[in-house]
Order: sequence, then structure tokens, then C-alpha cells
Amino acid sequence: MDQSLDVDGWLQRWKKGDEAAAEELIRHLFPVISKIVRTHLRRHDDEKDLVQEILMKTFAKLHQYKGDAPISHWVSRLALTTCLDRLRAQRIRPEVRRADLTPEDSDVFEAAWLTGSSPDASHAIAARDLVDKILSALSPEDRSLILMVDLEGRSLQEIAETTGWSISKIKMRLFRVRPQLRQMIQKLEERK
Amino acid sequence: MNRNNDEKWQDLLLLSTPTFAGEATPPYGFITSTLTRLRAEKREREELERIGWRALLASLAALMVAATVTLSVNFMDHRSDLEPGVRSLVQMENIQVS
Repeated sequence: MDQSLDVDGWLQRWKKGDEAAAEELIRHLFPVISKIVRTHLRRHDDEKDLVQEILMKTFAKLHQYKGDAPISHWVSRLALTTCLDRLRAQRIRPEVRRADLTPEDSDVFEAAWLTGSSPDASHAIAARDLVDKILSALSPEDRSLILMVDLEGRSLQEIAETTGWSISKIKMRLFRVRPQLRQMIQKLEERK
Repeated sequence: MNRNNDEKWQDLLLLSTPTFAGEATPPYGFITSTLTRLRAEKREREELERIGWRALLASLAALMVAATVTLSVNFMDHRSDLEPGVRSLVQMENIQVS
């Protein structure tokens, strides 16, 4: 159980129509959901709407929560599934090439990749856009997997718990997607 | 500097890390709008449940009426000494049966 939330007590209050209980849960879950949405969705996607949609689903499915894991874990899985559904609804874009980069992307690319120097911190947004462009050529599942491993440094066991995938499936996906990612980076380095 | 593609990818991710951080508190107005939406969905769900119950009760009532009519007709048929086909003929031709 989450230490800062008495889930059983909270559920009783919510069933009795206590709106303060709903507000408490929204405040408690917001940071968890916000982090997942911001990680797994592209930067320009409307994250506020999606966070709200996930909260609606959480409330609608609360009766399914058995209390055998912290509620934040249960909600994380729901949030990730919703993000993947949203990504699936969007078209997978073709591989990005050097010629497709904006001037800002090119600056980040030159500074961080070709020269190996550490670019200015203000380049974070441009770097994120570039990350999104590279990952947009992958399937939603592969995209999320790469971010969970490379960005969040999660173990295979943790990923299995969040996604519901088996360890062997995760390993297989990683084995398949790594060369794909390397190839995309290689293509970015080739000028035109 | 000759670095491999994995290192370059890690550098790029590292550079973009601040943009992946989630927000600790909901933005202004978020809780109010979420609660409003929750209330609306709850009302809608309750309304649907009410409609469902009404439809179920109406169907049961219609079924009861149909069953009552069928049983009554059947009972009346059994009380008559004529076969149903013959009785229909008698009624159609208006024949006096003593």
C-alpha cells in the first residue's frame, strides 16, 4: 500500500460520495501519471488531456483494484497502456534523415553527437525533439521500452511488472530494436 | 571524436532528460475540471443505470401482461366444449349453439 494514502479508507469515503477523497487521490496520483505521460508521449502531444483521461479510467476501474500492489503501480500500468493506445492511434513516421532536421535540431546534433562536446543546457528541448523524431519511427511498444531502459534505467523485472510482458518478450524486443536504433542514428550522420 | 552510436544516443537522452520530468502538482484549474468531469460521468452512469432499470421493469410488465392474456385465453379454450377451430367457425358464421 502507498504509505501516504490509506487506500481502503479512501475507497470507503469515495463510495459514500466524498469529493474531498477524490481530490486527495487526484493530488496523490498526478505526479505519477504526469511523469509517465511526459516520458512516453511526444513533447507536443496534449498531456493535460491525457492525464485527465487516465484519471477518469482510474476512477471508473477502481473496483478492479485488489490492493495486492501499491495503487501507484496499478495506475502506472493503466497510464502506460493508455499512452500506448494513444501512440498507436498516431501514424508511425518514416525514419528521420539529416535533411529533415530543423536548424535547432542540427545544432544539437552537431554539438552533442559529432563533436562529443556537451551542448548548452538550453538545448534540452531541441534534444528532446530530436529524440522524439528518432523514436517516432519505432512502434509504440519499442519506443516505450527504449525509454524505460535507456532513460529511466529500469530493470527487466520492473518493466515486466509495469507492462505485463514476459522477460523473454522484453529481451527479444530489445534485441530487435537496438540495431534498428543504431541504424537510424547512422542515417542521421549521413549527410543527405 | 570517434564515439559509437550507442554513446551518442545516450548523450542525446542525457541532454534531453529535464524535458522528461513530470510535474509534482496539478496545474491551476486541473483538479476543478477533473472533478467536474468526474461528477458528469457519475451522473451519466447513474442515468444510464436508471434507464436500464426502467427498461427492464417495462419489459417484465409487458411479459406479465402477455403471459396473463395467453393463460386466460387458454383457460377459456379449455372451458369450451368445442374444438378451437370449430368454435371460430361457429363464431364466424354466427350459428346458434344450444
